[in-house]
Amino acid sequence: MNSLSVYLTIAAVLFSLGLFGVLMRRNLIGMLISIELMLNGANLNFMAFNRFLAPEPAVGQIVALFVMGIAAAEAAIGLSIILALFRRLRSINVERAQRMRG
Amino acid sequence: MLMTAMEFAQFPILSAILFSTLLALLVILFIPDDRPKLVKQVSLGFAALGLALSLYVYFAFDPQKGGLQFVERVLWVKSLGIYYFLAADGINVPMILLTAVVLFTGVLTMWELEKRVKEYFALTYLLVAGVYGVFMSMDLFFIFVWYDVSLFPMYPLIAIWGSTRKEYGAMKLTLYLLAGSALILPGILYLWAVAGGTTFDLFELQRLGFDVQVQRIAFVMLYLGFGILAGVWPFHTWSPVGHVAAPTAVSMIHAGVLMKLGAYGILRVGMTLCPEGLVYWSDLMALLATIGIVYGAFVGLAQTDLKYVIGYSSVSHMGIVGLGLATMTVDGINGAVFQMFSHGIMTALFFSAVGYIYDKTHTKMIPELGGLSKTMPKASAFFILAAFCGIGVPCMSSFWAELLVFISAVKTYPVRGILAVSGLVVSALFMLRVVQKTFYGDKNPKWEHIPDVPLFLASPRIILVGILIFFGLFPRLILDIIQSAVVPFVNSL
Amino acid sequence: MMWLAHDPVLTAAFACATLPFLSMAVILIFTRPYQRLSCAISVGAITVCLGSALYLLITLRHAPAPVEYQWAWIISSDMVIPFGFLLDRLSLLMLTIVAVISFLVQVYSIGYMHGDPGFSRYYAFQSLFAWAMMTMVIAPGMLQLYIFWELVGLASYLLIGYYYEKWSASQAGKKAFVMTRLGDIGFFLGIITVLLGFGDLGILHMNHAAQAGDIHPAVVTLGALLIFCGVVGKSAQFPLLTWLPDAMEGPTPVSALLHSATMVAAGVYLMSRIFPFFAASPDAMAVALVIGTITMLLASTMAFVTYDIKQVWAYSTVSQLGFMVMSLAAGGYFAGVFHLTTHAGFKALLFLCSGIFIHEYHTNDMREIGRGGGRKLTIPMICMTVGALALAGIFPFSGFFSKEAILGVLAAHPNKLFLAAGLLGALMTAYYSFRLIFFILFPRETAEPAHHHEEAHGGHGHGDDHGGGHHGHVFWAMAWPVMILATVTLVLGFFQNELQSYLLGLEPAAHGHEAAEHGGHGLGHYLLLVTAVSLAVGGVFFAYLEFGWKKATQEGFLRKFPAVENLFANRWYMDHFYRKALDLCVYCGFTNIFTRNDRRVIDGGIDGICRFTVGGGRAVSFLQSGMLQYNLVLMVAAVGVLVLVFAL
Repeated sequence: MNSLSVYLTIAAVLFSLGLFGVLMRRNLIGMLISIELMLNGANLNFMAFNRFLAPEPAVGQIVALFVMGIAAAEAAIGLSIILALFRRLRSINVERAQRMRG
Repeated sequence: MLMTAMEFAQFPILSAILFSTLLALLVILFIPDDRPKLVKQVSLGFAALGLALSLYVYFAFDPQKGGLQFVERVLWVKSLGIYYFLAADGINVPMILLTAVVLFTGVLTMWELEKRVKEYFALTYLLVAGVYGVFMSMDLFFIFVWYDVSLFPMYPLIAIWGSTRKEYGAMKLTLYLLAGSALILPGILYLWAVAGGTTFDLFELQRLGFDVQVQRIAFVMLYLGFGILAGVWPFHTWSPVGHVAAPTAVSMIHAGVLMKLGAYGILRVGMTLCPEGLVYWSDLMALLATIGIVYGAFVGLAQTDLKYVIGYSSVSHMGIVGLGLATMTVDGINGAVFQMFSHGIMTALFFSAVGYIYDKTHTKMIPELGGLSKTMPKASAFFILAAFCGIGVPCMSSFWAELLVFISAVKTYPVRGILAVSGLVVSALFMLRVVQKTFYGDKNPKWEHIPDVPLFLASPRIILVGILIFFGLFPRLILDIIQSAVVPFVNSL
Repeated sequence: MMWLAHDPVLTAAFACATLPFLSMAVILIFTRPYQRLSCAISVGAITVCLGSALYLLITLRHAPAPVEYQWAWIISSDMVIPFGFLLDRLSLLMLTIVAVISFLVQVYSIGYMHGDPGFSRYYAFQSLFAWAMMTMVIAPGMLQLYIFWELVGLASYLLIGYYYEKWSASQAGKKAFVMTRLGDIGFFLGIITVLLGFGDLGILHMNHAAQAGDIHPAVVTLGALLIFCGVVGKSAQFPLLTWLPDAMEGPTPVSALLHSATMVAAGVYLMSRIFPFFAASPDAMAVALVIGTITMLLASTMAFVTYDIKQVWAYSTVSQLGFMVMSLAAGGYFAGVFHLTTHAGFKALLFLCSGIFIHEYHTNDMREIGRGGGRKLTIPMICMTVGALALAGIFPFSGFFSKEAILGVLAAHPNKLFLAAGLLGALMTAYYSFRLIFFILFPRETAEPAHHHEEAHGGHGHGDDHGGGHHGHVFWAMAWPVMILATVTLVLGFFQNELQSYLLGLEPAAHGHEAAEHGGHGLGHYLLLVTAVSLAVGGVFFAYLEFGWKKATQEGFLRKFPAVENLFANRWYMDHFYRKALDLCVYCGFTNIFTRNDRRVIDGGIDGICRFTVGGGRAVSFLQSGMLQYNLVLMVAAVGVLVLVFAL
């Protein structure tokens, strides 16, 4: 069972869960958490490929570190946006943010 | 022109000018909002620094030696052949000086600004950084990047601090200029791809040379793209609207420097890389330029807004630049570059003078003004001097430029040249008409309380007038520099 | 500046070409609030220039060849535009005239402009005028001449529109500038023609080459005709003559300067400057002759009907300029320049005298001045009569000699029509100038002059305090220049021979044409002389009959022909024609069409495209619900579809 496909399956599950969360949750914090889930799914993919296909240059690990860094930045920016939105709308429900309606 | 990947002959003065501008932007951003005075002082300090550095470039540039001087060339992206390549030659030294002068006087002109001071000056510096970048870069990629950097701040600058239909003006200007960039980018990429996709270096590309057919296609794209910014007829209507809407110093930079970017781009990129294309399209260029000269003057005659009048005079004067470029002779291009410089200073003076009047009277409609010479003789004198320069009165610098352009234009395109020369009568008529209606006539009781301009606020105009007259009396001080680049340029055509 | 010290001639020329400019700059920048100082600077500068000019005239009197100094002002490809000085007999004579008249006018202005709020500005512009004119006169090349020619135009614009708060004054300045600019376009194109056809713009080179036939005749003719356009504009020849009478809006000393030694004289000077070049083209000469004749006659008729004292002299200037152009065009180089010289003297005299009257009575109307007691101002009255006698061409005043010289030239011309026109002109000149003199000398209704005087004084803002006695320093500052000029007018004519040998001693170029002019004092010559003088006297007598004599109606014979009188008074409807043409072509024509095109076609098209884009956006905007997650769903679906398409 210690094969690549296991990791890929788990990663796919994680990613799909995240995607489902982003699409379905109406709570902005929830959406943000779901995005983290998706990123981690991707991370898992990188690590798995690195481990099983090209262990030597360890590029996958570096990319995974990058993704973590980006995730941190994204969380910071995302939370500050949510905070700003909350100040304005008094709510973190994404349905309330409908200014861009055509 | 073989150069190693890295070459610093001396202190990188051009980079210093460019990055001092960006540094100014950063510093201004870190000043607290509630200290507008400090923002202005810092802005003035950096503008003075830039002015000093560009004066150094102007004096240190050796016209006898000619060619590229102060070269800084670093490989930036190897796979695409992008170089960080700054250099000064006879064509861009006057432009750098012009930018520095207009920035400095522009900062002084906006000394009384009260609304969102910090953002205003930050955006101005971003704009000017873009302008410097275009003037100094000798790499197509960077020319394009800096070009777009200089376009972007125009929108907020006009939309926030402007007047008279500012949203419309800002939007129109932005759309026009972006349409221009949309032509320039494929033009540049086309040339780059045809040359093998290995280098963006202007002179490398020039050495590689292009097929006649390629040159014709690329030239017209570059000509129209840059031409929109240069106010080439019939793509000129953004410019009067934009000038009118923009706040004073932005109009100064915009008409004084930004429009020159267009003409400079045609000369630097289009004409350098596509001489055959130039030969093919020069007839059209001369025609459009001549129409612009005459047309601008006539339309200016009908305007009732002071800034519209100046805007259309810019169209007319930029037509002279276009006509000079289209002649493909040394005299014509000398005149065109000289005209870019003196028109820049002249319009800056125009807008600066109008700015003071508008600040005090809150109107720039000619019928509402009148008799201003009685109440504020000094403030009026600056506008009148600018108008004389616009008419082409001798011993002011634009006279020489026009003289050279017209001589070579009559030589190359007799009919169009004569038409363009006749445009001088119309331009005299419309300038004098504005001067008469705005400044002459009896004292207007409405404006009697307005104080004449104090010395400090007049200082930017004094500097600009001084430059106009100085180079009008001693034109060789700038023409020899221009010539050092134009002669080899024309010989290589 | 070492080179300056070693060559006194150069130093003197340099002083003439820089000092007035410096004085203008200093006045405008530093000393504007200090009126006396500004005035002193300007007068000081012009005095030094006068000294320099006289020095140059005396030292270079016998110089065998013209002295030339040149520096490159601009170098562009193979074209070099030099700045320099060409000191030959003609330019030195003209330089001296300009310096003398400018000096006298500036001194006169101390009195005339006394107390004016713009006193400093006035002197700054005077300096500018003097600078431009003097540097133009000693220009060695056509381009330098053109440059300073334009500056003369600028200075005249500023001075004519000096009272800028008056609408008519600023209008007149604008008109002068634009109309002369119209001629200058021709001048400029003429210079380019010569440049392209010959390649050298040095005045001496052009003259020599044209004479030697080194330039293609077509180039000479075209160049000469185009350059003559400039003369037409500047010297107010037909059809661009209407700006000059309007230019009377400026202060009177300015009119004196404008009409005698600067501005309008520039045109005639230009023509004599490149006289050999003109002479090489018979066609151009013929055109110039016809234009000069038309101008002379037209302008004289206009002077018949106006009551404005300055207007009369203005029309007479136009007509005398026409006379000079006729002379030059008929080949009379010396006669033309001689008349330019004498005319400068007596026309300045006439204007300055009129200025004293205007200053005293605050009106330009000759009838008012007469009624106010104009003849009691003895000095200006006598001087003005001297000037009018010279203008009419009565012996022994200077105008007599120069007019005789010109008539002599015209007599030698094969077409006697021009001689007849010249004689007719002499008759008309005598008539209208003495019409004016008699109006002032013999006023009809003697309204209480003292009272009138008082009232006028109170009503005007001149603010000078010369009170009851007119003989304060204000008056004398005006009187002295007038008396000097009157003396010059009396004496100058007797120096005809000296002037002629001075001018022609060096100009073999022009000498050939002088043969006819100074051929012999035969019977024909005396006949002509007698005819001319008797015509002039007849004109004066006719004027006396109509205006001077006790029983005269002071109406003029033209009153019987109202249509003709109207025609003359309206300047042959030339101004109406220009106004109409301007309105029709410029304002309603091109301007209107172009502006509409800008608004409707170009902007309309652009705005249309924008509206279309915005409308299109509106049309599909219903897809945009504003819900973030719908967009995300859409995106994911799209990615899914793409994956399916590309993966399978």
